[in-house]
Parts: sequence; structure tokens; C-alpha cells
Amino acid sequence: MDVGLLMLGGGVVAGIFGSLLGLGGGVLIVPLLTIGFGLPVRDAVGVSLICVIMTSGASASVYLERQVANLRLGMLLELFTATGAVIGGAIAFLLDPRILEGLFAVLLVYTAWTMLSAARRRPVPAPADVPDGADPVADSTNVVDGSGSAPVAEAGAVAATAVEAVSGDHGPFVARLAGPGYGIRRLRPAAVLSVFAGIASALLGIGGGLIKVPVMHLVMGIPLRVATATSNLMIGITGSTSAIVYLLRGGINPFATAPTAVGVFLGASVGSRLAHRIDVRVLRLLFVLVLLYTAFEMARKAMGAA
Amino acid sequence: MTGRVIGGTSAPMAAPPAPTLPRLEARIARLLTIGTLASVALLAIGAVLALANGIPPIQAPPPFDPGAIVADVTSLRPTGFIWLGLLGTLLTPASRVIAALVGFARTGERGMTLVAALILIVIAAGVVAGTVGE
Repeated sequence: MDVGLLMLGGGVVAGIFGSLLGLGGGVLIVPLLTIGFGLPVRDAVGVSLICVIMTSGASASVYLERQVANLRLGMLLELFTATGAVIGGAIAFLLDPRILEGLFAVLLVYTAWTMLSAARRRPVPAPADVPDGADPVADSTNVVDGSGSAPVAEAGAVAATAVEAVSGDHGPFVARLAGPGYGIRRLRPAAVLSVFAGIASALLGIGGGLIKVPVMHLVMGIPLRVATATSNLMIGITGSTSAIVYLLRGGINPFATAPTAVGVFLGASVGSRLAHRIDVRVLRLLFVLVLLYTAFEMARKAMGAA
Repeated sequence: MTGRVIGGTSAPMAAPPAPTLPRLEARIARLLTIGTLASVALLAIGAVLALANGIPPIQAPPPFDPGAIVADVTSLRPTGFIWLGLLGTLLTPASRVIAALVGFARTGERGMTLVAALILIVIAAGVVAGTVGE
């Protein structure tokens, strides 16, 4: 069978499972392309970045239309994730590919652990105003907080005050970042962690939701559904900034990207329609085993054994 | 000659109202949808052409040459469609930031306008980082 068709099929499967399990595409696509098709890990990361930008673009538009994503907050934080993405994109071409493979193995173990933790918790129904299956992390953390009430605080956060000072905006800039029923806190650590999310995204070809959603939800006190939607919105800029570096440095293989990205897009569309009909708890547990096996294989590649 | 009077008043024609946040979000959502679907369509055409021409995906990728895209598309070469689709994928989020910049500037939100401008500068830094290390 043609390798292009196999990549298309692999992309469809990765898109469906990514959507059903609440995983970003990168966690599945990079191992698929490196272990399954023998693509160099950096090329696989380049393909994966295109896939996550594409799927996030589709779901972010839904989140924005339904006014779940916080556009102002997302834009402020993506300033930092995009900065991290430039740094990560540059670092990616300096690192030995085996280090990237090793880092990816660690990411897979972390993802498996978060999925296992989520499976142990009692399931909470998804909020009606967030599209099913389009959520990269909410399912894996399973904490729904639709009415966070953290006060608007920490107006002295570096980023916000700098913007206020330069722009001359009247009134606290941070207060305008708040949404209905929730405020913003701890902007400074969130900005720093966002830079790391951008670096991780660029190095590993992931959307970075595994970092951004917990940062927004646990550190900043944003309701999970808003954090998830806002993270999704941010993936586009984070991913495209690092993908530009990859593209210009010859790190994106067009012939591998096209079938995989189309497949992932189709698969994610199917998965989002299946998500509310399938009990994913058993699937999630099985997938933990798949992730751990994949982590083992990636670690073997990193050590030159595969 | 005076401008057309709207609503029976003699006031000069006013500039269109600045978009409110929900309207801006709706515009950006539309932009993202159109950009994403157009990019997927271009990549799909490129993938089909590559399959039809028997081009194996696992091979050394051709260099990115923006100047050749138009000629490749008109010649129905897969690389033209794929590079165009990839550019569409990469530029859709940036165009969302530009739309937000314009929207926030019109509503007088100088802080968010500055943030949007800084994001575009960071994206430009990505272009520099990619080009310098090429």
C-alpha cells in the first residue's frame, strides 16, 4: 500500500483518538511518524506542529463563536508562548535528535500519568458550551469549575503593568482580562510558565495544552472550560511561530505533512462527533498502556537501540 | 457636494462603529474557519497529486521556494499546493492577530493593541530565527 495513504490513515486514527481522549495531536503524531514510518524526529515534530495548528484553528473558532475562550487573556499569554516558541524552534536545530526522542519519551510518560490520574477520578459531565472532544486536556484533568471566583488581583504583574505603562491605558489592564464570573491572578508566574510551554511546543511538536491549561486553571484560577478554550486559541500562534522556524530551516517535509495533516483534520472531525456517544474511560486506560509502550520505544530510539 | 445623509440628519457620514468584543470574536472565528478549511483543501489537493504522481512521502524534502509556488500551482505540481496550504496554515493565526489588532485599535484599547503588535513582532523574530539559521 502507498506510504502516503498509510500516513493519511494513520493521521485519521491519530485524529480520532486524540479527539476522543482529549489529547493534543502531537503526542500521537510524533511517535506514529518516527516509530511507524521511520521519519527523523525533527521532521516528525515539524509535521506535528502543522497538524496541531490546523486542528486548533477549527476548534478555536467554535470556542470564540460561543464566547468561551478569553481572547484578551489568550493574546497576552501567547505573547509569552510565542517567545518560547522562537527560542524552542532555534534550540530544536541545535539539539541532538536523540535528546528530542528522550524528551518525548518523558512527555509520553507524563501524559500517561495524567490520563491515569483522570481515570481514577469520578467523571464529571462536560459543560454544554464546550464542544465535545475538542478539548485537549479537560478530560485528562476532569475538574470542571464553571464559576471560579478568584478576585482580580496581582495588578502589579510585570507584563500587565508594562503594557499599561507603555500604552497609557486607563484603569487596570489586568481587570480587563477578567471574564464573566472569574478574575485573573498570578499573572507573573503564568507568563514565565507560558514561555516554557512555548519551548516545549516547539521542541516536541505539541500544542502545549498539557502545560497551559493547568497553568491557567490551577495557577491563575481560570475556570477549566475557559482555560481549555483559551489554550486552544493560543496553540495557533504558538505553533505557527515555531513552525515558521522549522519551515525556513527545511524542517517541514511537505510530502509527509500533507497526507498526515489532512488525515488528522478528518479524524478530529469524526472524533468530536463520536465523543459524546462513547464511554472513553476504558479506552483511556488501554491507551495509557499504548503510551507507556510508545515511551519505551522512544526511549530505546533515544539510546540508539532501535 | 456633500456626503449622503443617513437617518435624515445633516451630520457628516460617520465612520463605521468600532466592533465590540463579541463581534470581533465572531469575525476572528470566521477568519479562522475560512483559513483552516482553505489550507486543508490545498493540502488535500497536494496530497492527491503527490499520490497520483507516485511521490513517496519519506524522501528528502524539496527546499521551500516561495517564488516557485505560483508556477507549481499553475503546472498542477503537488509541491505548489502543499506549500500554499502550509503557508495558509501558518498565516491564518497571524491574520487573526492582525484582525484583533485592528479591532482593538478601533475600540481604543491601547493595551491590547500593543499586545497584538508585540505578538506580530515575535512572529517576525521567528522569521529572522529561521532565516539566520538556514
